[in-house]
Amino acid sequence: MVYKPQFYPGATSVAENRRKHMSGKVEKLRDISDDDLTLMLGHRAPGSDYPSTHPPLAEMGEPDCSIRQTVEATPGAKAGDRVRYVQFVDSMYNAPATPYFRSYAAAINFRGVDPGTLSGRQVVEARERDMEQLAKFQLETEMTCPALASLRGATVHGHSLRLPEDGLMFDMLDRTRKEGNIVIMHKDQVGRPIDKKVNLGKPMSEAEAAKRTTIYRVDNVAFRNDKEVIEWVHRVFDQRTIYGFKPE
Amino acid sequence: MANDRKKMFAKHMEIKFTKEHGSNKMEGGEITDMVGKYYRLGVEQNPRKVEMKKAGQEIAKKRGLAGYNPMMHCGGIPLGQRALTPSFISGTDMMVEIDDLHYVNNAAMQQMWDDIRRTVVVGMDMAHETLEKRLGIEVTPETINHYLETLNHALPGGAVVQEHMVETHPALVDDCYVKVFTGDDELADEIDKQFLIDINKQFPADQAETIKAAIGKTSWQAAHIPTIVSRVTDGAQTSRWMAMQVGMSFISAYSMCAGEAAVADLSYAAKHAGVLSMGEMLPARRARGPNEPGGISFGHFADIIQTSRVTPEDPAKVALEVVGGGCMLYDQIWLGSYMSGGVGFTQYATAAYTNNILDDNLYYDVDYINDKYDGAAKTGKDNKVKATLEVVKDIATESTIYGLENYEKYPTTLEDHFGGSQRATSLSAAAGCATAIATGNGNAGLSAWYLSMYLHKEAHGRLGFFGYDLQDQCGATNVLSYQSDEGLALELRGPNYPNYAMNVGHQGGYSGITSAAHAGRGDAFAVNPLIKVCFADELLPFDFTAPRKEFGRGALREFEPAGERSLIIPAK
Repeated sequence: MVYKPQFYPGATSVAENRRKHMSGKVEKLRDISDDDLTLMLGHRAPGSDYPSTHPPLAEMGEPDCSIRQTVEATPGAKAGDRVRYVQFVDSMYNAPATPYFRSYAAAINFRGVDPGTLSGRQVVEARERDMEQLAKFQLETEMTCPALASLRGATVHGHSLRLPEDGLMFDMLDRTRKEGNIVIMHKDQVGRPIDKKVNLGKPMSEAEAAKRTTIYRVDNVAFRNDKEVIEWVHRVFDQRTIYGFKPE
Repeated sequence: MANDRKKMFAKHMEIKFTKEHGSNKMEGGEITDMVGKYYRLGVEQNPRKVEMKKAGQEIAKKRGLAGYNPMMHCGGIPLGQRALTPSFISGTDMMVEIDDLHYVNNAAMQQMWDDIRRTVVVGMDMAHETLEKRLGIEVTPETINHYLETLNHALPGGAVVQEHMVETHPALVDDCYVKVFTGDDELADEIDKQFLIDINKQFPADQAETIKAAIGKTSWQAAHIPTIVSRVTDGAQTSRWMAMQVGMSFISAYSMCAGEAAVADLSYAAKHAGVLSMGEMLPARRARGPNEPGGISFGHFADIIQTSRVTPEDPAKVALEVVGGGCMLYDQIWLGSYMSGGVGFTQYATAAYTNNILDDNLYYDVDYINDKYDGAAKTGKDNKVKATLEVVKDIATESTIYGLENYEKYPTTLEDHFGGSQRATSLSAAAGCATAIATGNGNAGLSAWYLSMYLHKEAHGRLGFFGYDLQDQCGATNVLSYQSDEGLALELRGPNYPNYAMNVGHQGGYSGITSAAHAGRGDAFAVNPLIKVCFADELLPFDFTAPRKEFGRGALREFEPAGERSLIIPAK
């Protein structure tokens, strides 16, 4: 029998969405052009070459070894790209993603990534073109709602704050705005103004966000009602505790 | 168990988020509203920030060098893009500016740490044996009183024995003194009351009996060197300063020869054999001497805080006061300054002792435990529930989900604890303290702490910052580890315990859990009766029975600290 990853327990829509994020089988909702992505990330000018920190691996005369034979370098590593970051902030008011599930999604589905998981933000560092691939994927799919999530390199608070009347998660640096029925980004990740307004598309409706979210909330899918998840947490807790007491 | 009870944080949230403070326009609305208005008023909305901005401008002008300027924040967009709201000190009605809870801005916080750092407990019995058995000098209550009078002159920096000697000005060191205590009521009766910490007076009768039995007929000095000395030097100086003045006082009081060999024995007893520091010396990688915060075990800290002798019938309050004091000392001062720097740690730590959010969670737990476990959260030894994994899971799960749902039902509490680390501390401290109160077992409480972290992480898909992944995901494995150093009793763990050394938002909680286990049992002390008695003393500038209230007084600029230098600097 072929092993089929189960990813996550639970019988609720939140649990199902978590499984989707982890498996990478998420719905594409919008298109972000490469140049727009580059503008928002703010690491280099659109259309410019990727700065490198070493020559392409093929030119470096690396020694042959079993690890190199087993693991193929990512495109960014092969080219010698520098390491850059993408950082997302997701609102606790039913944003589709949560920091841990962005990290799981990155680590399971992408190679050469270094996810960092905090409460209000989630960062992935990787070779620049590898990072861009991941950032594009997460921005274009149901993992991201442009109103309830945003790219923020610094000054990230907002995930836990009440939503403003326009429904866009609070951002001290005002990087995104609602114009008509779409969300635009007019500053880069760290709040520097960019040359054009990047169209991020329509926000999710409240109902759609509640359907797609990976956070348990008492006013949507209550954590205490997903018995299987709690049972699984208890099992992890039991095992870790007992193993420390008597490792066998 | 209905969890729609009256929330202890409701009033504070209403004042913070529905009433204007300064000119922040927080007027109207409900604390359950999920939509808020953001006026982006900057620092001008807040009285303290305005004061600080003005001071920064004056300083820059005076010294000709740039200084504090809130417009330097991120591209010229200052703090205050959302409302800057005040906070309430939990367990009080004291409303304070959050800036005033940074220890630099709070004299009470500084004094709490000063009072701990400048304190050692020194045995008297070795010195008395040296005098009596070696030198044949009679030691009586009268000679002890005379010695104590001498030492209260010498300890602050008064000269004895010498005839031409510099001395410290008494007005600069008026907080320095020594008192004694003993488990021997007969000896205590003979000691001049000004010098005595009276265990019978300071503790409830049952606690006093336990403490006196533990101390027995031994006698001890609670010595507090001058705050100003401790600030100029460090915690390791405390025993040295004390030992020098103890030695000189013995020479003077007992008319000894200044050079005789027995003096070395007295000195050795005071410096090493008979001295109890508040904190242990730290290893080279965190190099600090004794009496620095990184060496203060959670058990010692639980004993330093004195709430347990004032409100023994309310173990939750005891634990909450220890959490508050511990978060200030361990997070704000130890991790926040000794080990790191800057201002961020204060924001984490204050979450545990402001706005009654943790208090509400813990008192809910107390009700839950009393209902389900037949009064196990009431103070007592025979009513405790057995510490099993099933009990830990039950209490920790209920406590954590109750707290999580409060953040979901009351968006203002979520906004108040706007960082996951703040929420994680509050939720886990509630779960840990509640379980410790119910079981009388600190490690069961610690176990609940870690389960709470797991549940929180899974519910919200987020926890604290990176360190929470390390410390809180592997923590359960060392709660009951078969390896003795990893599985240590919580009372004996401290900030330097493996994995505890790097992460804000934990150590205050751990010390709270430690105290909760013993407060739940009605114990007189957690780990050391000498430390418990040493701080049972109203003469200390900081009131260790109510650390949170003291922090509030400090924030309101009502607290009078010690060690001030105004006597020797130009008057302004």
